[in-house]
Amino acid sequence: MDASYLDLLMAQQEEPAEAEGMEAEGGGGIWVVADVANGAVTPVALQALGAARTLADSLGAYVYGVLLGEDTTDLAQTLYQAGADGVRVADDPSLAQFALEPYLSVLWDLIEAQQPEVVMFGATAQGQALAPRLAQRTGGGLIEHVVTATLDEATRTVQGGFPIYNGEYFQIAACPQARPQFLTIQPGAFPTPFLDPYRKGEPTMIDVEPVEPAVRMLGPARDFDPPPAPLAQARVIVAAGRQAGDFELVKQLAAALGGQVAGDRGARDAGWIEPEQIVDVRGVKVAPDVYVAVGIRGNTFHGAAIEEAKFIVAIHPDPDAPIFEVADLCLEANPQEVLPLLLEALG
Amino acid sequence: MRILVIMGRVLDPGGIAVNRRRGRIFVNREEYVMQPADRCALEAALRIKDGLQPRGAEVVALPRSVLPDDDVLRLAVATGADRAIHLTSEGTVEADDAGIAQVLAAAAERLGGADLVLTGATTLDTGQAQLGPRLAEALGWPQILSALHVEASDGHVAVILKQGKQYVTVEADLPAVVTVLPDALKPRYPDGVRLINVYKRIGELAAAVEQWDVADLVDVEALTPLLEKRGQDFPPERERGVRVTGAPREMAQALADALRQWAPS
Repeated sequence: MDASYLDLLMAQQEEPAEAEGMEAEGGGGIWVVADVANGAVTPVALQALGAARTLADSLGAYVYGVLLGEDTTDLAQTLYQAGADGVRVADDPSLAQFALEPYLSVLWDLIEAQQPEVVMFGATAQGQALAPRLAQRTGGGLIEHVVTATLDEATRTVQGGFPIYNGEYFQIAACPQARPQFLTIQPGAFPTPFLDPYRKGEPTMIDVEPVEPAVRMLGPARDFDPPPAPLAQARVIVAAGRQAGDFELVKQLAAALGGQVAGDRGARDAGWIEPEQIVDVRGVKVAPDVYVAVGIRGNTFHGAAIEEAKFIVAIHPDPDAPIFEVADLCLEANPQEVLPLLLEALG
Repeated sequence: MRILVIMGRVLDPGGIAVNRRRGRIFVNREEYVMQPADRCALEAALRIKDGLQPRGAEVVALPRSVLPDDDVLRLAVATGADRAIHLTSEGTVEADDAGIAQVLAAAAERLGGADLVLTGATTLDTGQAQLGPRLAEALGWPQILSALHVEASDGHVAVILKQGKQYVTVEADLPAVVTVLPDALKPRYPDGVRLINVYKRIGELAAAVEQWDVADLVDVEALTPLLEKRGQDFPPERERGVRVTGAPREMAQALADALRQWAPS
């Protein structure tokens, strides 16, 4: 393609962008309050911007990014690239670390002055702390951990879906009356938008009056044993059920795979595992790379608890065991026969 | 010191089944249990009370919503709370967390104030975590969310929480609102004798569970829920996996190959 033609096209596209920036000073719009971590905009903030862009396009609204922190002015361009029409930046040393009261004060003044329609946060510690307080103060509704967002165009209402019982199903809720509508976006639920390097703009700077935080940081916790719940973060889990036969073999398999031992309620009844090792929606919900279910029949809630596992192996003598419906690799066999051979094969 | 613990109930997940293909939820057994996070909040309150002996502290349990029965509150008293307030209403009150936060703030005031409010950081069913911070806003108090360990004395509360990969201690002046994570503490069991006494209204527990009408606390008309339910969405059914058949040795070999690929360690 002719390069001059491309330049011409680019110049044409930039002009309306500037015009939008002028209009963007008005109220309303969809806001995304971006988290900043380690000097960069967090992925969930970009994902929220992507979701906001989609909603705004069908609503005919503008998307504004809000950045709080110290030395965050340069990050505004990232928000423009991800789809923001305008960016408000509060760049102040008093905002260097997240603290509720200073952040709340800035956002409250901003929301009161500009009256946004929708305000989105990432479902992070920061977003989860700010969103409910702002919602209560403004009288707005809040939907947390949103994984799907659709639009009710007639009432300009966002319909957010959030997981029930850790994702057994999703409830869709909307806030038809009160404004603004607050949402916290579950990390990873929406795709990260393409960062268009040709999108750019001039951020609006906000004056910050320092506010004293109410919660003081005393430093690392001393003499504290964290509660033992690492099962949820384990990469490999070998779980036993009533039909496992010999629990010693299960332990050996876990050791051979470098994983952790767990079980279902049957294994707990047999006295093999502790209550906190029960894999179940009511117990621990796990998301390992590999989950080996040895002799677990697998009811609905066991199935739901291992759903996030990337690769599920089931060994059970009953061909009709429900565990086979969720497993990726199904062995209709007696674990007592297969496990010794498996340990041998694994070396 | 007066500690308020906000407690809720949840439909026992063991009693419900979700059929994804038909997009329906079957409630086979309508049985409610205490929200696990709220149970930890109660445990945290009782540990603070134990630590402050002999002066002690008054632990008051309040519900997370307007409940048709007070089983959760009786259970809280049986576990060690000194008293409980059951919020009742003549008509149905369909308040969500925004309204309940106002009701609870009014209840705290009628109780003569409180030093600390403890509640669960999240609910088991909906996973919503907004009641604690909303209540903090309604009361105008500082908040500390997702606590693993709570200590309170001499006008301030010290909380251990996880920040990134490390555990840190933070501190705030009382009064404050603290939410407790579901797995933070190992909750104690209700005391059998107290459980019987609180249900049969015997001895010192005869009047432990009080009934307060919501209408006396706030304007019920103003409690319309902000959120509206718009149906449910079901994740797709998981596809069936590969079945391995044959002699045990062949099966073991196939499994070993697959495991080597997925768990290279």
